[in-house]
Amino acid sequence: MKRFMKVVRAEARKQFKNKIHNIWVVFSMLIWPVLAFAAAYFQFKPFAFEAITEKVSYLNDESIMTYLMIGYFAMVFFRSFVQSAWEFSSERIYGTLELIYLSPANRIAVILGNAIASLLINVWMFVLFMTGIYVLFNHVPLMNVPVLVLALIMMVLMSILWGMLLNALFLFTRDSGMLFTVLEEPMELFAGVKIPVELFPLWAKGIGLAFPLTYVIRLLREVVFLGRSLLEVSSLFYTCIFICTIMFVATVFILKWGEKHNAITGDMALF
Amino acid sequence: MIEAINLKKTYHTKVKKGLFKREKDIVEAVKGINLRLEQGQIIGLLGINGAGKTTTIKMLSTLIKSTSGEIFIDGVEINENPLKIKQKVNMIAGGERMIYWRLTGRENLWYYGQLYGIPDKVLKARIDRLITLVGLNEKQDVPVERYSKGMKQRLQIARGLINNPDYLFMDEPTLGLDAPIAKEIRAYIKKLAVEEQKGILLTSHYIHEVEELCDYIYILDHGEVILEGTAKTLSESTFETKITVLELAEINPAIEATIQKFALDEKAVIHEQTHAHIMRFESKNELTESLVKLIHSEKLPLSKLYVEAPKLEDTIIEISRRVSI
Repeated sequence: MKRFMKVVRAEARKQFKNKIHNIWVVFSMLIWPVLAFAAAYFQFKPFAFEAITEKVSYLNDESIMTYLMIGYFAMVFFRSFVQSAWEFSSERIYGTLELIYLSPANRIAVILGNAIASLLINVWMFVLFMTGIYVLFNHVPLMNVPVLVLALIMMVLMSILWGMLLNALFLFTRDSGMLFTVLEEPMELFAGVKIPVELFPLWAKGIGLAFPLTYVIRLLREVVFLGRSLLEVSSLFYTCIFICTIMFVATVFILKWGEKHNAITGDMALF
Repeated sequence: MIEAINLKKTYHTKVKKGLFKREKDIVEAVKGINLRLEQGQIIGLLGINGAGKTTTIKMLSTLIKSTSGEIFIDGVEINENPLKIKQKVNMIAGGERMIYWRLTGRENLWYYGQLYGIPDKVLKARIDRLITLVGLNEKQDVPVERYSKGMKQRLQIARGLINNPDYLFMDEPTLGLDAPIAKEIRAYIKKLAVEEQKGILLTSHYIHEVEELCDYIYILDHGEVILEGTAKTLSESTFETKITVLELAEINPAIEATIQKFALDEKAVIHEQTHAHIMRFESKNELTESLVKLIHSEKLPLSKLYVEAPKLEDTIIEISRRVSI
């Protein structure tokens, strides 16, 4: 276990140093989600919410800010992993993946370290920003803080596992650009980040089910807006745990299968 | 010792034929190679692109799986215990890849050391030693992107030694380096074999490099070892004739006539030289003994007499010529 943690720490530290070579890089990571959040807010603000409120009881003129805030807050966690996994695939091109695979290091530890680094690099500033916005503009009183904390922990756990799964996928695919396109924008649209999933037609709801982010956003919104108890959201928690298990098993499988497959095809790198 | 027995690798690939159509293709990259590498020894793999050098290295280093054949490293078959084998080997490639440019030299070594689970104290001492070994003390805390090509290559060597491997696979370690830096790197490689008892497998397009460094050479062509031996034995088995060189202090028509008669008697051919007093005799056997007799009997003004060993480069050219025929 000690050795496993050493690899996680080393990988996280490497990614951190490799990406944060300039303090402005950190600030630049805040710009996109803030702009997207602001654009979504001002798009919705002029419209009447009566029709929506019929389907989403807690969504109204006053709660829209918090509603979007939750969507973007959760999305930044998940979306940052899509981008970092895409960047991680460059390890193939630079030949460093080959050296990782030449070593006896635990592969799960490597991608976990990478995922944790991505989380720390991409998310912390947006979290600070959102906390500020929440303190200044929130009109929804906090009703069930302990369950909210659990939901947030679930969000972090799920996003890390999502990151690990994507890292594993991107490591072994040569068409990472295509995967990036498939995962980036559709996740924002179908997971209900800004448009409530309840308003979607059935086919779009079906696509939304494929993204773990959909469940996290629903969990967070139900806890924040409706003050649900742990018992009331237990089925959602179980669903999230089930999805986490699937993601972990899939990650292990992809890593093992991918390494074995590449050892046969010789596709690991291009040196 | 590393021992590869009848090593084969076949790739099943798909070749695009138009937008949707793909055809299966079978490429036999390695077709039954046998080789041995002992600690303290440097062996060379020579061959043109596509000969199977890199595939062989990747199989030996556990990165790719052979289609058939066996590889034993210190008596252990590599598929039996790959994690143990990974501790014993490492790989160094030429060029500027395989290191993180935004990290410093020390940070790169620290990262790779962690992947091998080396205890922190041991790792720190090893990094210090390696940085000194490759002469990067002053630049160890500078990001790699500010290194020169030679410095990056030296860092690669340090990186390849981070797990203190018994065997090192070097793929074109001096690729693209200036002559003085390449010479320096070659000196490191020799030092690693002699002083640190590393077994080194080297591939290079620079034949003089292989000739200078390698104790034993395998020449590959289309995935097969077509010739193996030391540089000397390779030449001996390739060329049927020997070159004996005679240098005289002076030359005159009388001496010239004597030499011509000698060549005729010995069925030797005299190759033209830029200097008339240097004569290269090509014959089936070495001519030193008979030339010594001639010098004594004719009182020739001898300057030098020696047998010219063919260069490895000439050997390779000759072998390539025969293979292409």
